[in-house]
Amino acid sequence: MIHVQNLKKEFKKTVKEPGLKGSIKSFFKPKNEIITAVDDISFDVSAGEILGFIGPNGAGKSTVIKMLTGILTPTSGSCEINGKIPYKNRKSYVKEIGVVFGQRTQLWWDLALRETYTVLKEIYEVDDESFKKRMAFLNEVLELESFITSPVRTLSLGQRMRADIAASLLHSPKVLFLDEPTIGLDVVVKDNIRQAIKSINENEKTTVILTTHDLQDVENLCDRIVMIDKGKKVFDGGIDLLKQSYGQSRELRFVPVAVSDADKLNYGREFSLGESDLRVENDGHTVSVRFNNDKVSVEKILSYTLKTLHVKDISVTDADIEEIIKGIYKSGVSPDA
Amino acid sequence: MRKLLKIYKPFTHAGVLLAAQYRVNFVFFVLGDILMCFINFFLWKAVFNSGGAETFMGFSQTDMVVYIFVSFLTSTLAYSDGAYAVGEEIRDGNIAMRMIKPIRFDLAFLFQELGERTISLMLAFLPLVCGVEIYKFAVTGALAFNPLNFVLYLLSLVLSYLINFYFNVCFGYSAFVLKNLWGSNFLKDVLVGFMSGNIIPLNFMPSAVGTVLGFLPFASLTYTPVMIYLGMFDAPTIALRFGLQLFWLAFFFVLQQLIWNASVKRMSVQGG
Repeated sequence: MIHVQNLKKEFKKTVKEPGLKGSIKSFFKPKNEIITAVDDISFDVSAGEILGFIGPNGAGKSTVIKMLTGILTPTSGSCEINGKIPYKNRKSYVKEIGVVFGQRTQLWWDLALRETYTVLKEIYEVDDESFKKRMAFLNEVLELESFITSPVRTLSLGQRMRADIAASLLHSPKVLFLDEPTIGLDVVVKDNIRQAIKSINENEKTTVILTTHDLQDVENLCDRIVMIDKGKKVFDGGIDLLKQSYGQSRELRFVPVAVSDADKLNYGREFSLGESDLRVENDGHTVSVRFNNDKVSVEKILSYTLKTLHVKDISVTDADIEEIIKGIYKSGVSPDA
Repeated sequence: MRKLLKIYKPFTHAGVLLAAQYRVNFVFFVLGDILMCFINFFLWKAVFNSGGAETFMGFSQTDMVVYIFVSFLTSTLAYSDGAYAVGEEIRDGNIAMRMIKPIRFDLAFLFQELGERTISLMLAFLPLVCGVEIYKFAVTGALAFNPLNFVLYLLSLVLSYLINFYFNVCFGYSAFVLKNLWGSNFLKDVLVGFMSGNIIPLNFMPSAVGTVLGFLPFASLTYTPVMIYLGMFDAPTIALRFGLQLFWLAFFFVLQQLIWNASVKRMSVQGG
């Protein structure tokens, strides 16, 4: 469905020296610098898949989306979607895709929401019958009824985002690109939007590519994740794989009855764990032990701890995806590096 | 052609609705323009009164008054906001939202602006044309309305608008390089106002300057339609003028297409 090969995008950027002097200097003699926003990225997406595209701010996610939607022309490399090259034949290509940029709107700011849909109906040449059906469906999934007659500028962010998603789906696109569709929304609206995306994906086998900073989106929606950092791909695979590759660590937290008892414990010697597999922290009240679940089981750690000392409280937590990703963003190490 | 209209008609419709949203704004805008118009009127009245001669450079006082008001009408109707609208979308990056739609960038703007224009057409056109004709009748005492000239004027006006639109779109695309058009847009408006004959008729200029300006695209914007309205051109001149208008329209249309094709390849979308 989507085939991306060695995609690369460079931008020319004018470097300005600080201050007024710098402004004047760069006005007459601009100094340019080439910035590689996307560096040699390849991946494939099959039909009906939901792909999560994640990475820290400025990683190049939006630039990739802009190339895939035909807005930007890649410096080198290629992408092909549904047999079409986005930037070569933009007008016929964009008929088959839907796009939402969470930070912008494709709705007519000053017009009633309904007017935007009639404009889109003509642009995409949707016939009356399918338009009616489609609106009914989108209404049901995204609950537009209560604000469809209001001017777009009066909508709340959550309403606007739902309206935008509906606008991108009006022509039943085969591929849906969502660039941060849940940005700035409250928990309930986020959940609504996730449900909607899910039901559209299930009902119509729409392929979805989604960028987000909200890892709940990823966990609830995505079959697969591509993670990029500084323009390079650092991870490609399912969430399970991500957890396996990075998330072996679990955390044991307990509050000993007597703090000094904690010194009696020596996990390293007991289970012969190296530095990388074990980290113990003691803040004088709570002790936390991070350990590699592959090397030693939770059961063994627990029973050893409880045998050695008395505790007031104890818990074991799974490394959540947020922790994992924070780790990767910070270190920027890829599994194959 | 019918398909084209069907796709872009909603933009016109939206344009009408948009103009209606900001009608108060529009009324103030027109009031400001009319005020300028009267300042011009009194200025020329003073020129004629102090000169004492019946005609000035081939213009009687009545001709001059008609010229002022019809040139005002023409420049108002042929006015295009294209440079600003296009430049602004490039500056804030919203051009991306246009590009994800299966539409031509220029035509979407054109049809939307036509919609916005309809209201100014209704508000300004009839009262001004009637006013000018009544004035002519009151001063000369003869009904001098020439339907043929009027039809030719309308035709020339449409061409004038289209030239102005595509010229402005070309200009707006310079935002791809300049990123912000505030200063250059202002300069452009002043220069175009002068070179189009909006402030003084081009035949008042020294003959060499007048001839050069006459062949530039700006003369097609105001000077040509107004002179046709006044009946000051003979048949061969009218034919030449229409030829020039068509030439400049084609020129700017092709130019904007070339700039667009080149820009799209090197575009960077500003802001996220």
